[in-house]
Amino acid sequence: MSLILGIESSCDETAAALVTADRRILAHRVAGQESAHRPFGGVVPEIAARAHVEILPSLIEEVLAEANIPLGQVDAIAATAGPGLIGGVMVGLMTAKGLSLSANKPLVAVNHLEGHALSPMLTDPDLAFPYLLLLVSGGHCQLLFVEGVGRYRRLATTIDDAAGEAFDKSAKLLGLGFPGGPAVEKTAQEGDSRAVPLPRPLVGTAEPHFSFAGLKSAVLRARESGRYTVPDIAASFQKAVVDCLIDRTKRALMHAAGATALVVAGGVAANQAVRGALQQLAASHDLPFVAPPLWLCTDNAAMIAWAGALRFEAGLVDDLDVAARARWPLDPHAEKARGAGVKA
Amino acid sequence: MLLVIDSATEACSVALLDEDRIVAERHEIVGRGHAERLIPMIAELTGGMKPDAIFVDCGPGSFTGIRVGLAAAQGLAIGWSVPVHGYSSLALIAAGNFAQGEADQLTVALHGGHGQLFVETYAREPFRVLEPLQSLFPAEAAAAPAHLVAGSGAETLVAARGHGEAVTAYPRAADARLLPTALRVLPPRPLYGRAPDAKPKM
Ligand SMILES: Nc1ncnc2c1ncn2[C@@H]1O[C@H](COP(=O)(O)OP(=O)(O)O)[C@@H](O)[C@H]1O
Repeated sequence: MSLILGIESSCDETAAALVTADRRILAHRVAGQESAHRPFGGVVPEIAARAHVEILPSLIEEVLAEANIPLGQVDAIAATAGPGLIGGVMVGLMTAKGLSLSANKPLVAVNHLEGHALSPMLTDPDLAFPYLLLLVSGGHCQLLFVEGVGRYRRLATTIDDAAGEAFDKSAKLLGLGFPGGPAVEKTAQEGDSRAVPLPRPLVGTAEPHFSFAGLKSAVLRARESGRYTVPDIAASFQKAVVDCLIDRTKRALMHAAGATALVVAGGVAANQAVRGALQQLAASHDLPFVAPPLWLCTDNAAMIAWAGALRFEAGLVDDLDVAARARWPLDPHAEKARGAGVKA
Repeated sequence: MLLVIDSATEACSVALLDEDRIVAERHEIVGRGHAERLIPMIAELTGGMKPDAIFVDCGPGSFTGIRVGLAAAQGLAIGWSVPVHGYSSLALIAAGNFAQGEADQLTVALHGGHGQLFVETYAREPFRVLEPLQSLFPAEAAAAPAHLVAGSGAETLVAARGHGEAVTAYPRAADARLLPTALRVLPPRPLYGRAPDAKPKM
């Protein structure tokens, strides 16, 4: 059974993991850099890259030691090759290339989004292709029809901010700190989600995409008006995001004939209001709802190793001159969403 | 057998050394694209052979180039179970240029960020740093003492200073054999020479 070493370094998490093609996670480590970026109110690419190159080698050795597996027993080395912050991606990919050459094991260059897209299968053996995936993180907000390994149809993406970005920016506007998602969710518990009238951009429109920039501006205006409490704004904002996600996902379900399940992945899937609403939506369509455990929803290397395992078993390996890519759409045939300024 | 990896500047340079002898080398001025070229170059050079140790350029130079070399070296070191050591790009250029001439002193100048130069001055005998590393604008760098200036920023410095001799040079991995041992066993950690640009928002 193939055994894959996975490496992730595309944003502000440095991670390494050992995963088998029969879904055993032998070891996995994630080193966050939150405290390094907090003074800047967001992820600083150069600081992230500096941290990755410091941390990654020992993380890899820890993972091998913890699983008590010599590198020679690994069948392939998988690393995120994009999309993401290019300086960090290069650190992980170059380390993987070095491992690949010295251990004489094939290299698998994994698309970070593919890692997220396939991650639900790692913990749910019953999940079968095709399924509809809502990927909601700090950098991405997409609906993907996942048909098989390497076969993804992008049904929708954001035309401006990602959902997690909207949480982070709104948290900043409300003085709740970074990262904003968990802070907004916590504060929202004490607020009334009907208290503040906020827009639901693109809801009900024929185009399939997401938009959150207008919502963030409305949060700023609500704050500046002085008429609302922070918890009420947080609760109303969270409700507006949920409404947008549900409306767009519902629309995508009409274009996802044959889907066996509704799946969510990405950091925003940690949000209980988002999860709850998606669960209801799935139930109303008689579909199972699959949400990977929270640690697998945020950036990690187990999902990269897993995607690497599936690609390796399908014979999809890469040469040592493969390039790191800041942008790398999962579905190269997807039409450009107007104004899409997002990583993919 | 020693493997030397240098991708800290516009050069993508690798060498295999047997003590002080060059067994093989590849030296290309690539500007960009080190991340794609480097490992295939090393694969060609080593041809399946495992070296006893790795030496890598830790900078200063391009932030990304430094990390490309270090990350590759660390990955190789884990797979081969061999040690990694670091050296400075400026010391390497100094050693290489001392070997080609008679000068007693040499200033090394490399293009850094924001129009600045990384500048350091070395003495030949014994090989040592005379004036420590600074990141300076060309006008400030004009105070550099040595007549001979080598590096990617040599012409810029000499033009700003108005006198002296400029030798445009990039770090060549094979020159690691010319470095005193103490200068090629630095910890394998980046020598960026400059802080990141970001300023705290608080
Ligand atoms: N409980 C939560 N509610 C809403 N958003 C959340 C929550 N927890 C995390 N997030 C958001 O998830 C994002 C981080 O997820 P991750 O998958 O690591 O994203 P990326 O790597 O694209 O930044 C951040 O934008 C964060 O605010």
